[in-house]
Order: sequence, then structure tokens, then C-alpha cells
Amino acid sequence: MPLPVRQAARLATFPAFLALLILLWQKAIDWLAIPAYILQKPSDIVINAWADLPRLMSYTGVTALETLLGYAAAIVLGVPIGLAIVFLPILRRTLYPLLVSLEMVPKIAFAPLFIAWLGFGLLPKMIIVFLVCFFPVVLNAIAGFSALSEELTRFAAATGAGFWRAFLKIRLPAALPQCFVGFKFAAVNATVGATIAEFIGSDQGLGFYIQVQTGNMRPDLAFAAIFLLTLLGLALFGAVTLVERLTIPWDIGQRRARQS
Amino acid sequence: MATAILERQADPALEARGACHLSIQGVTKRFGTGAKEVHAFGPVELTIEAGSFVSLLGPSGCGKSTLLLMLAGLIPPTSGRIEIAGTPVTGVRTDVGIMFQDNTLVPWRTVRGNIALQLELRGLDPARHTRRIDELLAAVALTDFAGRYPYELSGGMQQRAAFCQTMVHAPPTVLLDEPLGKLDAMTRERVRRDLQELWMRSRPTVVLVTHSIEEAVQLSSQVCLITPRPGRVHETIPIDLPWPRDDEVKKSAAFAGYVNVIGDVFRAYGVM
Repeated sequence: MPLPVRQAARLATFPAFLALLILLWQKAIDWLAIPAYILQKPSDIVINAWADLPRLMSYTGVTALETLLGYAAAIVLGVPIGLAIVFLPILRRTLYPLLVSLEMVPKIAFAPLFIAWLGFGLLPKMIIVFLVCFFPVVLNAIAGFSALSEELTRFAAATGAGFWRAFLKIRLPAALPQCFVGFKFAAVNATVGATIAEFIGSDQGLGFYIQVQTGNMRPDLAFAAIFLLTLLGLALFGAVTLVERLTIPWDIGQRRARQS
Repeated sequence: MATAILERQADPALEARGACHLSIQGVTKRFGTGAKEVHAFGPVELTIEAGSFVSLLGPSGCGKSTLLLMLAGLIPPTSGRIEIAGTPVTGVRTDVGIMFQDNTLVPWRTVRGNIALQLELRGLDPARHTRRIDELLAAVALTDFAGRYPYELSGGMQQRAAFCQTMVHAPPTVLLDEPLGKLDAMTRERVRRDLQELWMRSRPTVVLVTHSIEEAVQLSSQVCLITPRPGRVHETIPIDLPWPRDDEVKKSAAFAGYVNVIGDVFRAYGVM
């Protein structure tokens, strides 16, 4: 096969595999005579979801807002708190062990409490998303900012550079790859937090919708919402990856060089 | 070409300052306290003439890298006194260039950017020193790789770039901690030649830590033999061979003689 054709074939492998799986699902419903209240065909899911599109869209907006606000808060607070822990010894002996212990707590277990304390609105969901995102952000920021090699520490010291100059030119860029590991991990957690928070107590959002439609024996509509949640998670992860690519292109190149 | 490097642009910080005389007086280093105290080094008396290239040669763990860190003022000696150019070392000395075994090229900057980093950390504007950077790159044959990132370079190229980073601010004293330690044998030969070239161009005082006898003999005006821990100076041997120390010199009987004499000393200590 000529090269471009072979490349195209390689690129098309996974989409073709996905299409095959969906086709199999479509056919299996008939073959196995699965009743509609258990599972429906992908084609019916699309048709039925289309009929309820306005509500699905507005609920996607609600869940997206909770996810984004909680995620943004985790980064805006997590990175500075991580920095403070790295550079203030008193926090390193107090706040840091506390965070490490709390990391073991399943954050989602707090969700019912927050709903009870703060009601059905946006704030408790945002806090729950914040909680599941905060720990990976702060712990990876701490790891990134404290892992500067002895050589680079001495190199900066030997030039006589002050704290801020050494921070901006060496410590900060050196820490960014590890920080992005945290950001990406948190991005994966974020939609999970929002969905579970909505399961527990809400009157709108995709998590709420899944619960209601499952109760109504409408797995087709539940699947539609799950698909939208997946898209939401992918969009957030993709956006963070894009920012990473723009911020630290050198690290991407370095990782690629190491792999090959 | 030698004048090209010495002829600096009009930044007083980069004016040729002449090489510095180093003096090490009764210096010792101990790590830890009480029963766990380790006597790592010294006491050592050593005088290094301005403009000379001195190798500290000894087995691993003899404290030669520790001495280098003490010379740079990055760690204090337990006792004794170090002077560079007549002034005592009491803290970090910014008038030296120091290079470590693991180079300090940062992955987020190109070769040129890494060299500039040394200047930027010192508060100098690299844009005013482009000619200096170009000359250093040319001296180690990296001109065509100035825009590459460290991970795109071979180990030998990385070390050559690191030499430029170490010497871009024209330090009168250059301290090198096993800069070729991690290179393969063939690459080492090449990088040694570049290092010798850089030294001969501007003749700073160089202190090189190494455990390769050949490397010490090839590059140095004096080789200082350091005993196993606690490291003391066994003997300082002047190397009276013509410069540059090219392949002809390396094949000479005199070269082999130095290598053998030094080898006998370390064999007597049982480290070889």
C-alpha cells in the first residue's frame, strides 16, 4: 500500500472499531430481544434524545457551570496553597500532613452533608467538585515545586540570583509539568464530582436527569445524558491539555523524545 | 581568535577580569555530628596559580567534589580558610563559574536560551551579549544547534553547551565537577578537546574534579593527587607537556610516563 493510504488506514482503525461496537449494540438489542426499559438501540437513543434536546442542553449548561467553577476554584486555591506549603516550614509541618491525611478520605462522602448544609443550589455542587479536584492539584503542585534537583538549586545559588528571579526563571518552569499532571487528573475527577453531587440532591443538571430518567424506565435518555457528561469531561480535559501544550511545549517534545 | 573571546562588549560585569589565584589553607570538612561524624576531607593546603588548569584527581568519596563546593562558597568548610583572588570565601562566590556532573541545562530553553539563563540569573541582559554567546557556540561547534532543545542533543553536545553556560559570564575562576563523567569514551575525547580550546582562549583559572588519570594529564598544568577519604593532597605534579595536548602529545612517551607515575601512587593506596 502507498504510504498516505497506510497512514489513513492506521488513523481510521479506532473510529472503525468504535463504529463496529455501536453496530453490534444496535443489532444485539434485536438478536437478544432486550426490552426497551432495560436498554435501547443507539439509533433510538439519538432520536429520543433529540426530542428532549432543549432540556438536555440546559442541564448540560448547569452541570458544566458547576464543574467549571469547582475546577477553577481548585486551581486558583490549590496552586498558591501548594506554594505556601513548599516555602513556609510551619505549613509544611501542619497543613501538609493534614492534607495528606484528608487525601485518604473519600471526598464524595461529604456530599450529602454539603447538600444538607447548603441546599439544592449551585454552591454545594461547586464545593464538591472543588473537593475532588483540590487534592490532586495541591499535592502535585507541592511535588512539582519541591522536586528541584540539587544541581539546579546550586546553579541558581551560584549566580547570586534572588528568590524571585530564581523562582521565575527556574523553580516555576521546572514545576509546571508536575502541576499539569495534577490539573489533568483533577479534570477527570471534576465531572464525577458534579454528577454524584447532583445524584444526591438537585432539581436540575445531567446527574439529576440520569436519576429521574432511570426511575422513569427511560435508559435511552439516561444514556443520552451519560454521553453528554462524557463530552463535558472530554472538553475539559482537552482544554487543559491544549493549555499544557501552549504553556510547556518543551515538555511534550521531551516526553515524546524519551518514548521514541 | 583568542582575542575575539577576550574582547568583550562594553558591560563592566563581563570585562576581562584576569584569572584568579586560589588559596586553600588548612581546610577540612566533616559531615554529621557525634558518633555519626564523618571526616570527609582535609586538612588540605593548596595554592592554585592564576591562569592554571589544575585537576583534583582521586578515588570516589575522597571529598574532591566537596572541595569544589567549598571553593564556590556553596557549602562552608568545617575549619580552615579559602581565598579567591585574595578575598576570603565566606558565602556564595558569584565571580566563579561552576559546572556539575549532571549539567544544568533546563529542558524549557534552547541551547542559546540556556546560555542566556546564566546571564539572566545574574541580572544581565543577554541581548547585549549575543556576540559573546555566538563566539562560545562557535568554539564548541554548536552554532547550528543554538535553537535546539537539550533533549534534541547528544550527551556530548549537551556537555559542550553546558560549558558555554558555565563560561558565558567570563568567570575568572571555573570549577568543573566531573563534567565528562557520564560520557562514553569516544565522546569524552571530543569534549576534552573543546574544553581545552575554551580554556586556552581566555585562560581562566580552572579547577577540574576527575577520576580519570588520562583526562587529568591531558588537560592540566598541574595534577593534584587526592588520597582516599579523608581526602588529603598526596602530591601536586606539574605536567610539563606542550600545548595544545593533541593526539601527538597523547601518544608520546612523556604522556604515558605521567599516567604511569600517577597510576603507581593510586595503586600504592590500593584504590586501583
